[in-house]
Amino acid sequence: MEPGTLSTFLKRGAIWGFIVLQLVFFSVAGKYLSLSDTAFMDLDNMLLLLKQSAPIGIIAVGMTVIMINGNIDLSVGAIFALAAVVMLDSMTWPVFAGLGDWVIPVGWGLALLTGVVLGAINGLIVWKTGVDAFIVTLGAMLGYRGLVFMYNGEQPTSHLNWTLVDFAEAQFLGLPTAAWFLLGTVAAVWFIMNRTVHGRNAYAIGDNREAAVNAGIRVGPHFLINFMLIGFLAALSAVVFYSESGSVNPNDGQLYELWAITAVVLGGTKLTGGSGSIISTLGGVIAIQLLRKGLGHIGADTETVNLVIGLILIAVLFLDRQLNLKGKQELRV
Amino acid sequence: MTQSLRALLIASTAAAGMAFAGAASAETMKIGITQNNVGVDSYQTTYEKAFIEAADANADVETVVLDAGGDVARQIAQMEDLIQQEVDAIIIWPTNGEAVIPAVRKAHNAGIPVIVTNSNIAEQGFDFVKSFSGPDNITQGKRSAEIMCDKFKEMGIENEAQVVHITGQPGYTTAIERAKGFDDRLPEVCPNVTQIDKQPGDWNREKSQKVMEAFLVKYDDIDGVYAGDDNMGVGALNAAKAAGRDGIIFVGATNFAVGYEAMERGEYWGSIYQSPVDDAKAALKTAVAVLNGEEVPFLNYFDTPKITQDNMAEFDKPVF
Repeated sequence: MEPGTLSTFLKRGAIWGFIVLQLVFFSVAGKYLSLSDTAFMDLDNMLLLLKQSAPIGIIAVGMTVIMINGNIDLSVGAIFALAAVVMLDSMTWPVFAGLGDWVIPVGWGLALLTGVVLGAINGLIVWKTGVDAFIVTLGAMLGYRGLVFMYNGEQPTSHLNWTLVDFAEAQFLGLPTAAWFLLGTVAAVWFIMNRTVHGRNAYAIGDNREAAVNAGIRVGPHFLINFMLIGFLAALSAVVFYSESGSVNPNDGQLYELWAITAVVLGGTKLTGGSGSIISTLGGVIAIQLLRKGLGHIGADTETVNLVIGLILIAVLFLDRQLNLKGKQELRV
Repeated sequence: MTQSLRALLIASTAAAGMAFAGAASAETMKIGITQNNVGVDSYQTTYEKAFIEAADANADVETVVLDAGGDVARQIAQMEDLIQQEVDAIIIWPTNGEAVIPAVRKAHNAGIPVIVTNSNIAEQGFDFVKSFSGPDNITQGKRSAEIMCDKFKEMGIENEAQVVHITGQPGYTTAIERAKGFDDRLPEVCPNVTQIDKQPGDWNREKSQKVMEAFLVKYDDIDGVYAGDDNMGVGALNAAKAAGRDGIIFVGATNFAVGYEAMERGEYWGSIYQSPVDDAKAALKTAVAVLNGEEVPFLNYFDTPKITQDNMAEFDKPVF
């Protein structure tokens, strides 16, 4: 066996092992503790799980790319909210009054455009000023959230359109719409990261930026593209979620950046960049949603979710560190 | 022999069948609740505690108590989970009165009755809801007007008094309803009292204090202040105290601990007592009544009595 293969396998597999562990635990515990007569591992429940993972999941996929690239984006929660406001509000603009239900794709388009533009602003600032992405997007997080509040004060922006709700609640081949969007996003971004030059360059830049520059990779444009990508995905997440709920509170999406980062780290992506997997991030997202769902299923206090996730996060980082240590030692031999 | 055996068999089967039927009818009700944001303020924390206590006290009820943490997405997921768990009824404290409507419709379509607690959902969702259990804010506004008028009569200034009005956040149903109740009722009980100004205080103590400071500069004669809740009322009181203006009658709503304390000091006249314990008990009671097939009014209000310096001893100090 090549050195490091086992540790890579463990790192990649750890999150799926954890999910299996959760499934077993909640199934067994659910038999005794749950009020429900249906089993936890019920197929419908698992499909629901995938659907419920979508809002944070779609963002987390983008966050994986950003973190592989060696950056971070804290503004995704605010972009999520602003895109939602644009989508719901644009559907009531008098300009589009004559469109009927065709206003829906227009609203979606405007929301996605908003996400891409906001992401591009982040990316351009990171590229042109060289300021750390953490600081840039921290500012953007506050600034974009400010825009949300300026738009409609502290009041929710609402537009309930039953055609839209029916579309969002629809199921295709047994999978809810939101789950399709999540899986589609995972597949598309996986392709970008593993089968395109841009993806391979993103890994290279995150691994060693200087070496990447020396190898002739233009770092800035890649940053810009990735920030536009995560902006797009944050907006896509909003489009998927708010199509079904039709009303956005100005503080919606708060802490989503942290949940997304948590999912990414749970999936084994390194905070320092250069290494990570889109599929494992999906595992991280599912693990979080499973925990929320499972603890609710067995009637545990909802607050325990945060505690448990916190502990697991630390355990994952510890495991990662130990495995990396071993990997390095093996290399030296 | 065979005859009697068969008879015995039939009898025992029938008995078993009846016992089974009996067990089925005494089966406990499973009620799920998804709350707005426990822990963000002590009203909601006390509500949750009271709800669990009330559920424990009722042997026929089993509950799944969930908290959305203020996150709409999580609340919708919790609604879906409760539907999936096939609970008998769902109580929801909406994080957003409109965003939860599709999820409420889902429960309705699954044949699960939904009870909205504390703050109602938007009107488009009324078709999917069995009952709303919560405070009646219009009545609260009316009662505040009565408290103020009664006090003016006691002081003998009911023909000349001038009142200013500080409302809650514009656009909030609670704020609109309380203001409407007060505006409608005051001229009925005290036709000669004039309301000289009305400004929003946004549920915020500092903002309300500023609004009151402006009022004090603008008007030399202010006899009464009505604020949409005690938090704003105390802000207005602070402004009056700082300006050295005595003898103003302050009336609020939703008695907060700060309001209660100001009443103890004799600086604040009265308010409306809204107990989270009553709120929680009313929600559970409504759900149980719905499941028992009783007729429940669509707007099922719990009582929020008047509290003034005269009768405050009857009430515990609010915890929030």
